[in-house]
Amino acid sequence: MNKQSKGMAKVERYYENYGSRARELSAEGKKVIGYVCSFAPLEMITASGCIPFRLRGDIHEPITKGDTLLETIVCPYYRSCFDLAVKHRYEFLSGMVIPHACDSMVRSFSVWSYSLNLPYFQFVNTPSVVKDSSFEFFNEELKTYKKSLEEFVGKKITDDDLAGAIQLHNENRNKARAVYEFRKPDPPLITGQELAKTLLACSSLPIEESNRLLDEVLEEVGQRKKSPLGKGPRILIDGACIDNAELAGLVEDLGASVVADTICNGSRDYWPKVDEKKPPIEALADRYLDKLNCPKTYRENKTGNFEEDIKARFADIGFTAKEFQVDGAIIYLYRYCDPFGFEVPARKAYYELIHVPLLHLEDLYSAGTIGQLRTRIQAFLEMIG
Amino acid sequence: MEYYAGIDIGSTMTKAVILAEEIVASVIGPTGPEHRRLANKVMEEALRRAGLALESITYIISTGYGRINVPFADKQVTEISCHARGVGSLFPQARTVIDIGGQDSKAITIDANGRPTNFIMNDKCAAGSGRFIEVIADSLGVKLEEMGDISLRSTHPAKISNICTIWAQQEVAARLAEGVPVPDLVAGIHEALADRVARMAKRLKVEKEVVLTGGGAKNKGLLKALSEQLGCEILVPPEPLITGALGAALLGKDIVQKALKSGKRPETKKRTLEEAKLH
Amino acid sequence: MAEEQKKRKKRKTATKAAASIGPMVKESITSTIRAREEGKQKIAYTFIVCQHDEILRAMDIVPVWTENYSGICGAKRDAERFLQRAESLGFSRSLCTYALCGLGFDQWREELGEMPPDAPWGGQVRPDFMISSGQILCDPRSKWYQAAQQFMPDVPIYNIDLPYPLFDPKRDHREVWGYYHRYIVKELRGLVSFLEEQTGKKMDYDRLRELVDLGDRTWNLIHETYELRRAVPCPMGTGDAMNTMVPMCFMMGTQEAYDFYLDLNKELKEKIARGEGEVEEEKYRLLWGGGLPAWYALNDFNYFNSKGASFPAETTYRMVVPLYEMDIPETNDPIEHLAWRWLGYWTFWYEKARKRPGSEPDVERLIQYIEDYKIDGVVMHEAFSCRTWHVGLIWQLHQLAKIYKPIPVLVLGKEGKKEKKQRELPSLVLESDIIDITSYSEVDTRNKIDAFIETLESLRRARAA
Repeated sequence: MNKQSKGMAKVERYYENYGSRARELSAEGKKVIGYVCSFAPLEMITASGCIPFRLRGDIHEPITKGDTLLETIVCPYYRSCFDLAVKHRYEFLSGMVIPHACDSMVRSFSVWSYSLNLPYFQFVNTPSVVKDSSFEFFNEELKTYKKSLEEFVGKKITDDDLAGAIQLHNENRNKARAVYEFRKPDPPLITGQELAKTLLACSSLPIEESNRLLDEVLEEVGQRKKSPLGKGPRILIDGACIDNAELAGLVEDLGASVVADTICNGSRDYWPKVDEKKPPIEALADRYLDKLNCPKTYRENKTGNFEEDIKARFADIGFTAKEFQVDGAIIYLYRYCDPFGFEVPARKAYYELIHVPLLHLEDLYSAGTIGQLRTRIQAFLEMIG
Repeated sequence: MEYYAGIDIGSTMTKAVILAEEIVASVIGPTGPEHRRLANKVMEEALRRAGLALESITYIISTGYGRINVPFADKQVTEISCHARGVGSLFPQARTVIDIGGQDSKAITIDANGRPTNFIMNDKCAAGSGRFIEVIADSLGVKLEEMGDISLRSTHPAKISNICTIWAQQEVAARLAEGVPVPDLVAGIHEALADRVARMAKRLKVEKEVVLTGGGAKNKGLLKALSEQLGCEILVPPEPLITGALGAALLGKDIVQKALKSGKRPETKKRTLEEAKLH
Repeated sequence: MAEEQKKRKKRKTATKAAASIGPMVKESITSTIRAREEGKQKIAYTFIVCQHDEILRAMDIVPVWTENYSGICGAKRDAERFLQRAESLGFSRSLCTYALCGLGFDQWREELGEMPPDAPWGGQVRPDFMISSGQILCDPRSKWYQAAQQFMPDVPIYNIDLPYPLFDPKRDHREVWGYYHRYIVKELRGLVSFLEEQTGKKMDYDRLRELVDLGDRTWNLIHETYELRRAVPCPMGTGDAMNTMVPMCFMMGTQEAYDFYLDLNKELKEKIARGEGEVEEEKYRLLWGGGLPAWYALNDFNYFNSKGASFPAETTYRMVVPLYEMDIPETNDPIEHLAWRWLGYWTFWYEKARKRPGSEPDVERLIQYIEDYKIDGVVMHEAFSCRTWHVGLIWQLHQLAKIYKPIPVLVLGKEGKKEKKQRELPSLVLESDIIDITSYSEVDTRNKIDAFIETLESLRRARAA
């Protein structure tokens, strides 16, 4: 294998054998802390000397044992993660952090905690509004979270530990953002599938290894002269957690390129950074309360005007669509997703406002149903093509 | 003379159209469980009726649920674009196409050139498709083709409150036991399906003229119920099953003519009328 | 449709108090329409269980409980057209159907500039402002009004965040509730400022203090009144409680609510003295252990009754606990007290749950009710569209069965000898929705109920002496 192809081959390996590195590290005595949502403050885990690990579901694995413990009205993605966890796919975990994101997470917290029975299990109560009072509260809540980790690892987390972790995670975000740059040429130099796999692989590694992997990917893709894709419509994927490359694969198989996203396993999580000039806890509060743009966080409409409201709430979509020159967007949501589901008409109105054609897909998180989306996606591409 | 063919492999029926300036042949045959493999039989039949050899077809487009893996097609296009193009050619004033097929249904808004501007599909639930009527016909012991006419004899259509096919089946059985006349039940079932399809269509902006295609368009009871639900007259093509295949053939023609204008022959596949290779 | 509705008989209630609720709710809806016409009071869309009832009443705000109106549409079996309208706007039918029904209704009313045709009970009036609460309880609550602003952009929202510490078996919640309290107090004071701005009036804190005191007394009175249902036979079941929840949820902080429970208390005592039960011959005592009811199918409670089953207790809509058993600091500030009452309510079962391994607050509450109310079986309802109240129910039943086996039975052991064993309580999970009637099958539900009753019966026979 030549040096140039090292990065993507590694990505592929980590993506296919998801969690293999965390399993090794756990066998060496390292403590791996799982999380499922972008609201879990990872810097704290890194600062405590533990390894943050993002759980994935598996669209190819039917949900079985999980359904005997958890209602089927829970978000199907989250149900799949839970099913894999109770089927010991992630037996190497020492603990988990579950943030207050959506009802599916909050209401099933006890089910997870009792079913997995891990030594460390922590809920982080992220406020659902952004005001001075919620910042004060969240600062305190982060201190409680910090204390819980300190008790778990048996050592203090200093401000220096935190500053170091923040720096490493920011570096990770910078590098991830640099990978997105390869999406800008037409056709893009990196496929949507490759980028999805890269970021997923990264979320299964300790932050330093994740940074190194990104360096290798940047180097490899940087040497490409030609796009792996043909010229086709440039698509933005809008949605929540999409923890596999199948949707991007389907879109690209139909002749389009995935060049941008707003998803949790993408720009929602990887772009916003922590302000390194602020005191660490405050800076974390700022990022995890205000900078993550998820519908879970209520943002007040101060203008009394609907158009102004959606321009403010979805501005990031507009910027991204412009920056990456998208020709169309796909909102891909799971059934039972209340936070995103209640925004669909407003999001549709926003896409009309910015003149980006939109396809709305509701899915069940399963390989079988993704295939069924083929006709819709193909028809949409024919329509905008 | 240039000839174009469209082949539409639906979930229950396979349709083929061969076109020159006008339709020269069309065939409708059952799809069956081996639909993908047997698409060649329907194509052969269409060629036979047109009196043409495969080599004399300039361009072939496959569409429909089984469009992928048709070995002799030069291109595959979704039924959305094909229905839009087919209906647009038959009714230039059409702005909405509703297709009720055996396993799915869809609504498409189209522009004056027969291009889709928006669409919506239901393929995840039997209750929104022809399958709904089929299941009920079966449990009532009535022939599927007679359902529409039976429903027109109803004086007081029964209200079927369950949308789920299985529950609706239970409900029909219960109402039958209560003594509700069969025509009222059948009319109720048609209203329930029409209601579901109309609701789906209303998620788009339904504009006139509205054209109904697919097997559902052959059912007079459904047509009446749907037209009431949408509050407008609904047009039906002379042969509502072939608009997809017709659209496919027309899109092929568009491609060829565009290529010829720029002085090139369109890229086509080397084709033989062989069975599709299944994985 | 209208004709079919009329044909449905009025549901039979055990108590006069429950029977009086229908007209009361109707009047409360009519009064909001009157208030809109008179224009003297400000009207607010809002949600129950936000600990702000007394604040609203002290400021003379007319609350419109939007979940209630959707429930009414559901109970009248007339929610479908509003749900369909929401669906046609692009909302998924898998979302909270209260919110979908409300959004469908509001969009229609705004489009027409008047109430939609034949709106149940005159319709839901346009608000002057909306007070939502994301809490930690319910996502749709913080998304619903935001979505409604698409067709009412001029109606402002105040969103109160009211978190509480989640249960952690290893940690005393009182370690953290200080900063929770500070936050909630700020949120509630923020609400007061918002209301002052909207009404142009200042809050009268003496009045607020009085109303909070009235509210506290009502909490205690409700608790004491519901505890009367421990009597055998049980004088009032969950079917009735789904009516008597109305003052508790929609009229707190009013004298009317207090008086209602005084009357109910009196009526129950009289029935107990007469030995009058909800059902004539009480055979089984069941606990409604979780889930909001299917509002269009409250008759299922009467069906249970017809089989000799009564429901002396329910966890649903029992949104009070006795103040005198709450372990919360004393304060003279009514806002601070409201914040403590909120925390006291949500953490009420924490201490007990920590003491029993494998337990947790909701399970602890089930056990307490099972013992206090001499319960033979647990029934739950899983409403597909609501994650807030319906996730974790299966697990609660699992956990309950694991840690709590109150029924002694004789079983054939080794060598054919009879052995005494402890068995868990039987349970039943019904599946449907709060207002989406298309998810409901009466045949299916009643089959399940029949089978459950047979289980209870065979267990009764097997019960060791």
